[in-house]
Order: sequence, then structure tokens, then C-alpha cells
Amino acid sequence: MILAFEDVVKSYGAIRALEGLSFGVQRGEVVALLGPNGAGKTTALEIALGIRRCDAGAVTVFDGSPQDVCVRRRFGVTPQHTGFPDVLRVDEILAFVAQHYPAPASLDETRAAFGLEQIRRRRANTLSGGQSRRLALALAFIGNPELVVLDEPTVGLDVQSRRRLWEAVRNASGGGSILFTTHDLEEAQAHASRIMVINHGRLLFDGSTQELRARTGTRRLSYIGLGGPVVVTLEDTDEYVRDLVRSGAAFADLEISRPSLEEAFLSLTGETS
Amino acid sequence: MNALTLVRAHVTMTFLDLVRWPGYVVPTVVFPAMFFVFFDLSFARESSANAAFLTLAFMVFAVVGVTFYQFGVNIALDRGRPWERYLRTLPVTAIERFTARIVTAMIFALATAAVVALVALAFTPIHLSLVQWLLVLLYCIAGGVPFVFIGITIGYWASARAAMPIATATNLLLAYAGGLWIPPKLLPPFVQAISPYLPTREFANLVWSITGRGSAAPALLGLATYTVVFAVTAVLVYRRDERTRYA
Repeated sequence: MILAFEDVVKSYGAIRALEGLSFGVQRGEVVALLGPNGAGKTTALEIALGIRRCDAGAVTVFDGSPQDVCVRRRFGVTPQHTGFPDVLRVDEILAFVAQHYPAPASLDETRAAFGLEQIRRRRANTLSGGQSRRLALALAFIGNPELVVLDEPTVGLDVQSRRRLWEAVRNASGGGSILFTTHDLEEAQAHASRIMVINHGRLLFDGSTQELRARTGTRRLSYIGLGGPVVVTLEDTDEYVRDLVRSGAAFADLEISRPSLEEAFLSLTGETS
Repeated sequence: MNALTLVRAHVTMTFLDLVRWPGYVVPTVVFPAMFFVFFDLSFARESSANAAFLTLAFMVFAVVGVTFYQFGVNIALDRGRPWERYLRTLPVTAIERFTARIVTAMIFALATAAVVALVALAFTPIHLSLVQWLLVLLYCIAGGVPFVFIGITIGYWASARAAMPIATATNLLLAYAGGLWIPPKLLPPFVQAISPYLPTREFANLVWSITGRGSAAPALLGLATYTVVFAVTAVLVYRRDERTRYA
């Protein structure tokens, strides 16, 4: 286990952010940590990275404390907000971070992997949102870490940028472990070998993407019937559609979709309560 | 990736982040020399003794000002930034980062003091031996230590918005009352009464001792006392910030 949380509790005043959270990340795993705003994802990551301390429980990274500099040499981070110094150039920021690690990746390779060649001399305050995110991700990988932690790595990006970023992450990771947070269930299913869902600081689900699919295997079916819009959530949509057609009732704009993340949460929360 | 490499990396990063803002660099480096030219150059040109007295006072003013802004204002601005949070995830210790901040401040402080010295060398009859100039350099570094801790105290105590006016007001008041702009004997009587106890006056006394005005020992003792007092306050406000921001 390269990262382990054992009964971790964290409060901010009267607010309980983490309520006995336990999980682990094995070498080579790509783990998605899912949850709505305020679920405790960022708090969990900040404790894993040594930015914050937990009130109770234990957190170990590579069998040591995340505050230990030797441990920090083994992980790389992309925080949710980076806020690079405005006047530093892309190359300067990469070189600066690379100097913290014993065997960093070459700047050329990193620039190529994250599409930074064309903007290498640009100052941080002239980068677009997508370029800033690419740079932030490159920083997580430049130290050749064994564990990479990404806090909402693609938030605010369009679909194409997301796809390009994930391609870069897959190429750069080289079989290393990745722990990332996201709001996007589809993104988690597409890129993670394991998914953890937390809400109100508790772990609601921990398993493979297949298990999650089975767990939230319902479909959302909507159409406009004679009486107005109809929305139903059910497992066997085929049978419902067959019945609908057989009934001869008029309908339009039939749409079948996977449940949203919120709907999946409601389902999970219902099962655990 | 040893401590020296990391300190150098952080000094370079901080230095570039400051030096590329002309709005910061020009006023910081030029302001004390400009004050010197506007208010005291004519007096400094009267004699070698006047020149040394006033030049050294303005060099102290330069060091104090830069230290206040680098620590007081920059810490207050930095500690709320996401970049600061990111830096805490890197394999670097707080001591290495503080050392880098001190080295960067020293570079700017000595550069600012050097501009005052160059103006004095160009336009006044100042005459100091090489040994005296080296002592000025040494005392400027040593005398700046308590101001580093005053700056850190302001930086971790004040909000980002409040730090600039607080640092400016403290700097200007201490400079004036410490006799850095006008000789202490020309200060109003009530200011004269408190002036000898101020850290800026102790700093000036230390540097003036190079020209035979008084002894360095009492000034060093005074500065050491201020160092201890403000080191304690700096640690207290730093810990408070750590508790509220990162606990």
C-alpha cells in the first residue's frame, strides 16, 4: 500500500469534513475519488499531501509521514488551483519544480508530453485556462514520481482539452499510481481502475468501475407524453419502451441516459442509510 | 537537490518574480536614494563628516524599508495564494524556503543601500576606507536581522490588504523618529526622548560607530534585544497562521 488512510477524522470547527475515512491506494492503481462539493475530497487530498493534519486516525504515504521531505520526493501534485507567479515563464516554472526531485524527467520530454513546446517562453499570466492546466499537470509528473495526485485536473476544460490532457497523463504516468478527484462520473469511469465515492466525509463506495456500473445500473428515461414531460429511473428501459409502444400512447423526444453523478449519489446514499 | 540547490532555486524564483515588476523594483531601489538627494544632499555636501553621517543613515533606511516590504508585505500577499499552497507540497523544508527569502531580501536591501552609497560617492565628499565600507556592509546585514522579524510579524499578523499601509507607516515612523532623515538632535524634544530606544536608532548607531560616533556594543545589545522580542512575536503569529490556515 503506497497511500493508506485509517479512520481519518477532520473537523473545521463544528463542521466534520472527514468522518472516519479509510482507504488505500496500491502501486500501479489509477484511483478516482468522487464526490459533490463539500464531500471532503480536497480535505482528504490535502491531508494525504501533508498540507493539513488530521484530528484523529492515521495517514501514511510510502509507509511514512506526508510531511517528510523524503516522502514528498516520491509524489507529484496538481492542485485544483495553481496560481503560478504571473511573470515567470513556463520553462522557468518547470525547471524550478524539477530541481526539487532527485531524478526528474527531462524538460524536453515533459514539454513534449504535455504540449508545452510552443508556449515554453510564455509568461504564466499570458496562458489560457487549458495551457495553465497542462502546465499544472506537467509539474505533477516532472519529478518522475511514484504517486501522482491530481485535484480536479480537468475542471473548467472543454471536451477536447480534457481528452488531450488525459492522453498526456496516461503517456506520462508510465504505470505509476494516480489518485485523482473529479465531479465527472464519466471521466472517472473512463480513466480509473478503481473508484471511491465519498460524501459528508464518509466512504460510500470503493470498487472497480464495473462494480460501480452494476451498482448504479439504472437508466434515466424521459419523453413528452400527452400529459406533459415524463421522467422515470429504472433498470430495464427496453421493457419500458416496449410497453410504451405496445400501449399505443403518443410520445415524443424519447431519451435514455445514464444517471447523473448526483443521481448515482442519491442511489448510493439510499443504500447506505 | 541538496539544501543549497533548493535555496538557490527558490532565490532565483523569488528574485525573478520581483525583479520583473518595474513597479516594485524601481521605487524600492530608487526611493531611499531619491529621499537622500531631495532632503539631505545639500547638507551632506558641506563636509566629509556630514556626508558619512547622512549617507550611512539613508543606507540604514534602505535596508529597513526593503526588509519591511519583502517580509511584511510579501508574506502577507503570498500566504493566501494557491501557489504558496502548492509550494508546501514540494520536497523542501520551511527553513530552506525562509533562507531563500532572507537571501533575496538581502540582495535587494544591499542593492538599494548601494544606490545611496553610489549617489554619495558621486556627489558628496564622503570618505570611508575599504575596511569601513566592508564594516558598513557587515553592519547593514547584522542590523537588518530584527527588522526581518518585525517584517515577519507584520506579514503573518496583517491581512494582505492591511500589510502595505502598516509596513509603510511603521517604516516611515521608525525612520523619522530614529533620526534616519534628520539628525536626532534636530528632532522635536518628545521624539528625541524616545528616539534612542527605537530599533532604527540602534541600527543607525551601529553603523555610525564605524565613523567613530559612539560604540557598536550598546547598539548591538539593543538590536539583539529587539531580535529576541520580535523573533518570539514572529514565531507566535507564524504558528497562529499555520493553525488557522493549515491545521
